[in-house]
Amino acid sequence: MIETDVLVVGSGPAGSSAAKHAALSGAKVILIDKKSEIGSPKRCAEGVSKEGLKFLGIEPKIDRWAVKEIDGIRLVAPNGTDVWLNDEIELPEAGFILERKVFDKHMAMDAARAGAEIRIKTLAKGLEKRGDSFIVKCESFGELFEIKTKIVIAADGPESHIGRWAGLKTQTKAKNMESGIQFEMCNVEMEDPNVLEFYFGKVAPGGYAWIFPKENDIANVGLAVTASETDKTAFEHLVDFVTTCPATKNAQAVELNVGGDPVGGFVKNIYGDNILVVGDAAGQVNPLTGGGIISGMTCGMFAGQVAGEAIKEGNYSSKQLSKYADMCDEHMGAKMKKYLKTKEYLFSLTDDELNSIADAFQNVKFKEISTTELIKQLVKVSPKALLKLGKLF
Amino acid sequence: MIVKDWCSFCGECAGVCPRNLIEVKEYALVFNEGSCKECDTCIKACPVKALEKEEN
Repeated sequence: MIETDVLVVGSGPAGSSAAKHAALSGAKVILIDKKSEIGSPKRCAEGVSKEGLKFLGIEPKIDRWAVKEIDGIRLVAPNGTDVWLNDEIELPEAGFILERKVFDKHMAMDAARAGAEIRIKTLAKGLEKRGDSFIVKCESFGELFEIKTKIVIAADGPESHIGRWAGLKTQTKAKNMESGIQFEMCNVEMEDPNVLEFYFGKVAPGGYAWIFPKENDIANVGLAVTASETDKTAFEHLVDFVTTCPATKNAQAVELNVGGDPVGGFVKNIYGDNILVVGDAAGQVNPLTGGGIISGMTCGMFAGQVAGEAIKEGNYSSKQLSKYADMCDEHMGAKMKKYLKTKEYLFSLTDDELNSIADAFQNVKFKEISTTELIKQLVKVSPKALLKLGKLF
Repeated sequence: MIVKDWCSFCGECAGVCPRNLIEVKEYALVFNEGSCKECDTCIKACPVKALEKEEN
C-alpha cells in the first residue's frame, strides 16, 4: 500500500495550492487528479483579482498563463443602460484574465517543485477511516489500489464526494448550484476590450451573463442560471444571449464550457479528524460573482499550512485542524457573507427595477459615493427596491 | 439513467445528487442506481439536458 502524510484529491487551483504549501511545510504529499490533462476542460470565466494573486505570492506570467490585464467593469441593465466602474474601487475577479489550461498546470508544477508527487489519470473511488488515518481507494487505468494518508485534503470540486464520504455535509443544494455555460468566441465587438461586462435580469434567471475579454476580439461569453428559476436550459439561455447581445452578433464560438458553480456561501463543516475540504468542494466561491480561483487557492494555502503543521506535531485531530476554518473565516468570512446578501438583493430585483437603478447610477462616481448617498439614490429610483434591500441587511 | 453523448462530464449532476450516487470519471458517468430514489434532481440540474430517465 502507498503511504503518505497528506493526500490531496483534485489538482485544480485550490488542490495544487494546498499540495504546494503542505509540501513546503515538509510533509510528504501526493496530489491526484482524475483527468489526463490538468486544467482541461476549463469550467471558468478565468477572472482573478490582482490583490488575490499578490496575497498568494504568485507573480503573474503575462502571455503565459495570464493573457490580459483588466481595468474596470461594465454593468448592463436589461434595457441596455450601463454603469461603468473603474479599478479605483475594489472589484472582485477584475485584475487579470487567465488561460486556465496553462495556469492550472503551472500551479500543479509549483506543487511538484515544492516536493509533491503528482499522479494524473487517478480517480478517488471511496474512502475509509482506519485508525488515525484514511484509506483512499483509487483507480488508474483499470487498476484498483489504496493510498493510506494521515490527512486527506478534499479538493474534488463541486461534486464534493470526499467530504460527504467522510461524513461532512459538503453537498451543494440544487438551489445553490448555478448552472454555468460558456462559449469562448472570436469576432466579439466589445465597447472596451479591457473591462469585464456583466448583464443582469431575465437574460440569466438566478444568475447573470458575462463577457470576459481575453484578447482584442476574443472573449469568454457565458452565463449562469439557477435551474429552479427557469424552464430553459443554461445552453438555451446562452444561445439567446449571444444572438441578441450587440457585442456577439458576429461572434463565432471555438469552445464550449459547462459546469456547476456552488454559490451558497462557505460550507460549514470543512474539517474533521484527518480531513480538510477546500475550493469548490467547500463552497469557497464568491456567491455574488461565482468566482472561486483566488478564494479556493487562498483557503488551499491555509489548508496546506495547517496540514503541514499537523504532520510536524503528529496530531491530525479535528481540534488541531480547526485552525484552518478559523483562518478562512478570518480572512474572508465576513466578505463572503456580504456578497451573499448582495446577491440575494440583486437577484430579487425585476428587470424594471434594474433598469431604473442603472439609470440613476449611470454618472455616479462610485469612489466618492457614501452609503447614505447610495440609499438616497435608491429611494429616488425605487422605494420598492430599497425595501427589499432593507429586509436583507 | 441514459447519458446522452453530448454530456461533457462536468459533474454538476453529481454535485447536486442528495445521496452522492454519481461517480464522474474523465469520460464516463457511473450511477449507483440501486440506491437511487428517483428524485430527478440530477436530470433537472443538467445544463445541457444530457440525462434521461430509463423507461421500465
